[in-house]
Amino acid sequence: MLEVKDIHKSYSGNEILKGVSLKVEKGDIIVILGPSGSGKTTLLRCLNFLERAEKGSIDFDGIHTEFKSATGHQINEIRKRTGFVFQNYNLFANKTALQNVTEGLIVARKVPKKEAVDRAKQALDKVGLSDRYDYYPSQLSGGQQQRVGIARAIAVNPDVILFDEPTSALDPELVGEVLNVMKSLAEEGATMVVVTHEMGFAQDVASRVVFMDGGTIVEEGTPHEIFSRPRDPRTIQFLRRILREDYEYSI
Amino acid sequence: MRPFHPEFIFTALRQILPYLWVTIATMAGTVFFGSLAGILLARAKIRRGPVLRALSEIYIYVTRCIPSIVMLFIVYYGLPEFMLAFGIDINNFSKAFFVIVTFSILFAANMAEVFRAAYESIDPGQREAALSAGLSEWQAFYRIILPQCIVVALPNFTNALVNLMKEGSLSYTIGMLDVMGKGQLMIGINHGSYSLEVYLALSLIYWAMTLVIEHGFGTLEKHLSKGRKIVAAS
Amino acid sequence: MKLNTDFMIKTFLAALKGIPVTLEITVVTLLLSAPIAFFMALKRLHKKGIGSRITAGYVSFVRGTPIVLQILFLYSLLPSLLNYLLNRVLELDFDVFGVPPILYAFAVFGLNTTAVLSEVFRSALLTVGHGQMEAAISVGLSRRQAYLRIIIPQAMVSALPNICNTTVNLLKSTSLAFMMTVKDIMAIAKVQAAYGYNYIEAYLVVLLIYILLCTLVQLLFKAVERYLSSYKKLVTC
Repeated sequence: MLEVKDIHKSYSGNEILKGVSLKVEKGDIIVILGPSGSGKTTLLRCLNFLERAEKGSIDFDGIHTEFKSATGHQINEIRKRTGFVFQNYNLFANKTALQNVTEGLIVARKVPKKEAVDRAKQALDKVGLSDRYDYYPSQLSGGQQQRVGIARAIAVNPDVILFDEPTSALDPELVGEVLNVMKSLAEEGATMVVVTHEMGFAQDVASRVVFMDGGTIVEEGTPHEIFSRPRDPRTIQFLRRILREDYEYSI
Repeated sequence: MRPFHPEFIFTALRQILPYLWVTIATMAGTVFFGSLAGILLARAKIRRGPVLRALSEIYIYVTRCIPSIVMLFIVYYGLPEFMLAFGIDINNFSKAFFVIVTFSILFAANMAEVFRAAYESIDPGQREAALSAGLSEWQAFYRIILPQCIVVALPNFTNALVNLMKEGSLSYTIGMLDVMGKGQLMIGINHGSYSLEVYLALSLIYWAMTLVIEHGFGTLEKHLSKGRKIVAAS
Repeated sequence: MKLNTDFMIKTFLAALKGIPVTLEITVVTLLLSAPIAFFMALKRLHKKGIGSRITAGYVSFVRGTPIVLQILFLYSLLPSLLNYLLNRVLELDFDVFGVPPILYAFAVFGLNTTAVLSEVFRSALLTVGHGQMEAAISVGLSRRQAYLRIIIPQAMVSALPNICNTTVNLLKSTSLAFMMTVKDIMAIAKVQAAYGYNYIEAYLVVLLIYILLCTLVQLLFKAVERYLSSYKKLVTC
């Protein structure tokens, strides 16, 4: 359904992505792991054209284009069919929770107001915020804000939802509520690409785990393959470090 | 269209520039007295009792509403009579005296706000950490808080200084012979025929002064704020 | 020292007639300047080409020179320039010296306020984080829609205190309009004062009126701010 090939992206001479290819099928839950600076967030942002890749092509459900030569129309079309959840939520500060969700429906997709409100309420109910419709972002906790962010992304019925480290700005005790929402979305068959450091989520929910380092994909496979029988030494080292931290953390 | 003589701009610049020191000296006097008063006002607003705080707030509010030229006229015409009531004759005092008094009154209110905002921007934890490290109150203020305050206050201080310079140009209306006054005098001597050239020369002088002040204090700020860079980046 | 209170009351009543003129200059100047200033702010944010550099130079010049100098300069330039353009170049036989002086006041204060406001708008637009634009784009809004619906409403709220400041400063600088023979509060008071050399009393009256007007402006902005920033409600308290 979504396939990108050979993405290259650099900032002021530093090559962040060195030819990354990724294929997402309908219903896939792809979790991208990797140390910081490995390019995973950049990859995700390129998929939604928040960054413009210098080289590579994208194939999205019938839309086929090189990143460099994508037209405004194609970009809009791809964005309208994807949802994006930001690390720091980026809720519209001047809109209530409900308005944050309806904005993209009413303004960008011309959904009639009444229907938009219904759909927005459904989305907010789904993330467990049925009692927070009229709250402004400043009145919500971080976890609630991120759940609004997820509601905003799912309300437009996207073909694929992109999550950019959705829990890393949250206090530890709020991480669980967001992960639970994401887990239930996965169970309903949503297609998701998730950049995260939550190993537990990757192990339990992912259909495929992708490990990135230094701007390339080092290894990919089922959670079982990656966590139990990693082959590449970089993957092994990364997992050992992370899991040991988790272990030390738990005692 | 009246004839325009660009070369007269240079003549004007040559004749006006010697008076730049008058402008700078009155500014320096104003900054000195205005800042002193500003510190007192800021102190009153931060930690003195409710009466002093209210007085300080009223002072700042009222002066913020007064056009400089109105203040200048009130001081220039009113202060001598006021002092005469105490038997002091200041009618023959220099014009610069009235200019400095006027603008110190206004500048003090600006400074009070600049100082207060800077003081309040410093995390109270800085003082607590200094005290717990064994510094006295005064040492904590002088060695830890003040240096941080200055960095925060600098941009606003620069702004206030540029404003002071620009508003100070009104001094010519009471006959002060500074940059602006000299320019007006030149126009008068030539019966108004070189007014555009003189005004352009004056504009160039003021513009250049503004750029020098902004650039100078900008460099100073960069130099002083070395320790803060990392905080701002994260 | 004794103040002549009868004279002060008389002057106060006379100067009240100048209030509409002062307010007219302030309001018209703001209405003229705001749209141009906003456009200039956008131009400078995008840093595109020569337009942005000219704008930057204009803003720097206006903010770097005293307003009294701008008034004197334009007031000695504009009438003869208009005369030259309209009557010599276009041969219109237009009575330049019959132009009401308040129009010159609009021009001078407009040029000044445009520069100041463009800086206010620019910094306000910068305070709205880049994430807001990205989020708007990610839900499918166009850049224009994002500006109109997300960025500008937030920028306006953070710009309000500075717009209030600009307005107060503009109001204060209209006290120099008398130099262009506009009959504002200051001009009326000056005339009154000259009759009987009651300068202090006259200027104290002007001072009082300005305090009242400033208070009015600030209350007005407070009300607007309270109305606009409903989305920040709980943060502030």
